[in-house]
Amino acid sequence: MQEKGCLSIDIGGTFTDIIFLNSESETIIARKTLTTYPDPSLGVLEGLHSLLESEKVLPSQISRSIHGTTLVTNALIERKGARTGLITTAGFRDALEIGREGRYDIYDLALQRPEPLIPRQWRFEVQERLNVRGEVLVSLDEAGVTAACKELINLGAEAVAIVFLHAYVNPMHEKQALRLVRSLMPEVSISMSHQVAAEFREYERTSTTVANAYVRPLADHYISNLEQGLKSIGIDGPLHIMLSNGGCGSSELARHFPIRLVESGPCGGALAASYWADKESADEVFAFDMGGTTAKAALTISGGFPLSVDSEVARVHRFRKGSGFPLLVPVLDMIEIGAGGGSIARLNEMGLPKVGPESAGSTPGPACYGRGGRLPTVTDADLVLGYINPDYFLGGEMQLCRRQAAEVIAELATDLGTDVERTAWGIRQLVDENMASAARVHAAERGLDIRNYHLVATGGAGPVHAVSVAQRLGITTVVVPPGAGVGSAFGLLLAPVAFDFSSTWVCRVSEIEPNQIQKLFDRMEEDGRRIVNSAGVSTDQIGISRTADMRYVGQGHTIRVPISGARFDQNTISEIPDAFNHQYRKVFGRLCDDVEMESVNWRVTVSGPRVALDKLSVEHRKDPAISVKKSSNRQVIFDVSMQPLETSVFDRFSLGQEFVSNGPVLIEESESTTVIPPGWCVSVREEGHLVLSRVENET
Amino acid sequence: MTMDTMFLEVLWNRLVSIVDEQAAALMQASFTTVVREAGDLSAGVFDTQGRMLAQAVTGTPGHINTMANCVQELVRTWPIEGLKPGDSLVTNDPWMCAGHLHDIIVITPVFYRGKGVGFFANTCHAMDIGGRTLGADAHEVFEEGLHLPVLKLFREFKINQDLIDIVRANVRVPDQVVGDLFAQQTANDVGASKLIEMLQEFHLDDLTELSEMILNRSESAMRDAIGNIPRGVYEDEVVIDGFDDPLKIHVKITIREKDLMVDYSGSSLQVDRGINVVYNYTHAYTTYPLKCAICPEVPNNEGSFRPVRVQAPPGTIVNAQFPSPVGARHLVGHFLSQAIFGALSKSIPEKILADGSAGLWNTQFEGYDRKDRLFVYIFFSAGGMGARSNADGLSTTAFPSGIRGVPAEAIEAVSPVIMWRRTLRCDSGGAGQYRGGLGQEMVLEIDSDRPVLHSCMYDRTRNAARGFLGGLDGAVGEIELDDGTRPHPKGKYRIQPGQKVTLRLPGGGGFYSPLQRDPSDVVKDVFHGRVSREAARTLYGVVLKGKIARLDDEETRKLRLQLQGET
Repeated sequence: MQEKGCLSIDIGGTFTDIIFLNSESETIIARKTLTTYPDPSLGVLEGLHSLLESEKVLPSQISRSIHGTTLVTNALIERKGARTGLITTAGFRDALEIGREGRYDIYDLALQRPEPLIPRQWRFEVQERLNVRGEVLVSLDEAGVTAACKELINLGAEAVAIVFLHAYVNPMHEKQALRLVRSLMPEVSISMSHQVAAEFREYERTSTTVANAYVRPLADHYISNLEQGLKSIGIDGPLHIMLSNGGCGSSELARHFPIRLVESGPCGGALAASYWADKESADEVFAFDMGGTTAKAALTISGGFPLSVDSEVARVHRFRKGSGFPLLVPVLDMIEIGAGGGSIARLNEMGLPKVGPESAGSTPGPACYGRGGRLPTVTDADLVLGYINPDYFLGGEMQLCRRQAAEVIAELATDLGTDVERTAWGIRQLVDENMASAARVHAAERGLDIRNYHLVATGGAGPVHAVSVAQRLGITTVVVPPGAGVGSAFGLLLAPVAFDFSSTWVCRVSEIEPNQIQKLFDRMEEDGRRIVNSAGVSTDQIGISRTADMRYVGQGHTIRVPISGARFDQNTISEIPDAFNHQYRKVFGRLCDDVEMESVNWRVTVSGPRVALDKLSVEHRKDPAISVKKSSNRQVIFDVSMQPLETSVFDRFSLGQEFVSNGPVLIEESESTTVIPPGWCVSVREEGHLVLSRVENET
Repeated sequence: MTMDTMFLEVLWNRLVSIVDEQAAALMQASFTTVVREAGDLSAGVFDTQGRMLAQAVTGTPGHINTMANCVQELVRTWPIEGLKPGDSLVTNDPWMCAGHLHDIIVITPVFYRGKGVGFFANTCHAMDIGGRTLGADAHEVFEEGLHLPVLKLFREFKINQDLIDIVRANVRVPDQVVGDLFAQQTANDVGASKLIEMLQEFHLDDLTELSEMILNRSESAMRDAIGNIPRGVYEDEVVIDGFDDPLKIHVKITIREKDLMVDYSGSSLQVDRGINVVYNYTHAYTTYPLKCAICPEVPNNEGSFRPVRVQAPPGTIVNAQFPSPVGARHLVGHFLSQAIFGALSKSIPEKILADGSAGLWNTQFEGYDRKDRLFVYIFFSAGGMGARSNADGLSTTAFPSGIRGVPAEAIEAVSPVIMWRRTLRCDSGGAGQYRGGLGQEMVLEIDSDRPVLHSCMYDRTRNAARGFLGGLDGAVGEIELDDGTRPHPKGKYRIQPGQKVTLRLPGGGGFYSPLQRDPSDVVKDVFHGRVSREAARTLYGVVLKGKIARLDDEETRKLRLQLQGET
């Protein structure tokens, strides 16, 4: 009998990664190909074909495929979505433009806001109104809906969003409108706000629903193509799509709610980080990915990555919160900052050095690439300090030029009145401090003590900077997984089927009617079961977790509180205050006695079983180019004294499993270099990952 | 060796990250919607002399810059040597702090190895402070609520219960107000503990050297930026609605080689209504627009304020004396930026904005809901910003205030307000080569069976946002009940059950002549409903044809020639 397996396909901007996991032997095979444009599914099928061929895998062995894509994010950034119309409550068609009335940078007079995805002429108002309790104040004017449809037909709309005020409490008018729109415009895809984002705040909900409608035809087309393509080469198992919540869902779900795919890219990486941290029995994980342009970080809470519900997409200023379209979808709570290997160092108005967020990208890239980059970058600094091997960048595919790196850094050094090495050292300190600061503020906002975390470093620059960032945060253990280059695709294999629902019902705890809330949960869970079932999870494997966003009455921000039990009754209500207080104290340190609590959003996560890969070991593919290169020595600068230390350099894949060494040590592989400074020690684990720990009693 | 610049930058970044953590804690823990949703707060770290070293990137200028002055003044009477670990100070003195009683500052000294090393402070808008509720209609500050001189909020970690009891007894929503005091203390505690970690990590004894370097660097950057402005004396005068009678803000900016002086002599005298501005607030809203125009990149701290001197004669509307009423001081304060930009338009027009709606429109309701519960609810809304010299003004965006508005559904979730309509106001943006931002129109009703007090704090209902250099004025604001009556834009009245009130917020002024606007941009504006066809023709000289508006090139050319001839 053929062994069964899973396929993972991760499409990034430049590369498409494909991994086949043999579920029986728990071995994985990886392929990297260039992403094809305009239809990335072509590249996937090509790469897949070659993988099946060369590795003698039969299509019938593949029982399930999981796919991660940046398609939705890109369509929103590049504005390549469908011609979309909006039908909304009379008086509110400008919600998209009025926004939140604030400025995302209080000192920048030149700032711009993103142009709405739907122009005003395509936004139609109809008479209808519910109040905050969902009671009808004005009945839906069906003739108004019909008239709007006629206009939209004339305009040639391909998609329609329906957003009515307070539909998150009572969807009756949206459903009523849906029936009309569907009968008049059977060809268009329709998105309703109570399904896409059942939460209050009309600007954010409209923005989310409109974005969903805007990308739906495109996502529909793309996912169908991929599905058919897979079928055409004999892969009949279901196709699952990675969602932004860190779970995956059926392809059908992804076609209906493509906005749930936004920012799903980094989720795979975070799941992979979690996997490797588990091998070290870590309680909490700090997933740290540092690439060429940005660094991303995610922190677990009680072992799991929390979800953020106020995310954004298509920012006008990439790192400015508030400059994009707000989205009320659950997104793995992650920060992204402009700190990567390509981040540029320069002097600001005060003659002080700054690093990033501007990046040299891959073209021209850092000066040491020799492609015309004339500005000093983090990679240039790393090279000058001795961390990176100029002859073994990308496994030796690219020769780096230390002289050019030193030249551009020298220019900056002259401005600073110091020397090249000291300037390079400073660039490194600054970028590391920036990343640590971002992580620190992120942790503070969530009331987390980051010192007990295991930092898992991925991305080309991650292992180069991991220890320096860890030290600044008081972290004492760093894990460097194997195969960092396909970490995200690997992570997809670990994603459980999972979908999140939310429903706003603002109510004081003392006034909660249990039946009311039970009904909310029932509705969400029924939908959830159907969705998870349809992704092939059997009913007895479905897990359900309930939470509520609670706050003190009058307070602005909410705290996520777990809700236990299968039945929501007086007993459940009586447990809420303690659960709330527990979480509140964790974040804020003290309680506010005498103040009542109220609910805002009620949430349900419906998920399939966790994916267990216990015995997995990643094959060490010996690159022939590497085997000739044994360990060597290099002069590397590790501290502010600027005294270079004689440092052993090892090839990662030539290390034996008992390898243990104290820093200073460098461990090279084709995608990155792991830096172990003095005061830290490194050991290799059986599963292939490196563990870096701070040496006790450091002197 | 002095601290090397790389190390300085690392430490400076760390300080900024610490105050961001402080602000995060405050926003998370605050009870007040405007603090959390609208960001109506500020947070910062100060050296032992009370000089502000860094501020959180959130916050509004009125809070940040007044806080900077406040701590410095306070430290003179309360030096750190006289304070003990666990002490904390609080005040809402308008003359010392942020210009009205609703803004409460909490200041906490930080001690390291037995020595005072600095302060953390934050200012936060209280939901209520007793008195007449937030508004412009008081005659003396005594009517505006509870006035707390500088008092100890905590004495050696022990809460000042007497103070808490007094506050509770004086405000309408004691839980929220007292809850916020605790939130403010929590935020300072977070900052203090992080600062101590930083001192340990980098083996510093205190902030003395770091402070000097940060402040001196910022100061010299600001001086260099001033040096780039042509030297000279630039004047402007802005007329605003006032309470009953219009008020003048007169400004004279003297640019010298490395510093500048702003003089408000010639401005109107203070009035007996709550729109007076204390000097501190005037200073804050003078330095803010200057910084935006001259050197947005230089961090905001005590050093960057040094090269700017602000003079305002005592007894004027911009330096009102105790006990004049100050509740709605932003109604004048937010307009200082207009005069500053007006003056600078004569020298660096490429760096400033035309007049905008400026004053936030604050709407407050107070009454009983259908469950007979007392409610007080306030929300802020923004009209249009002024046009830039190279781009249209932003519609419905607050400036100079940095706060955010609140969605209708969020308003309705926590107060018995029904918002029936919220749309952009067509033709409210002043015409220009670059158009002013649009205001908005909203229609409100109260879901209660009893009348509810509506407190209005609205400006630019008589004096429009001026266009600059040939740009036209924005539309003025309006308030109107459904029976056609027009309540006083700065008064209070009772809105009856079932009655609807319409607010039309002002638009921003345009920049350069509308006849120079690219006709295709006018067509786009008509298509998007921002400009009417009528205005396109009469103001922009752009003729449209067809049902779906298309440009009539020939007619447009002729009309523009004719209009140019007339001007």
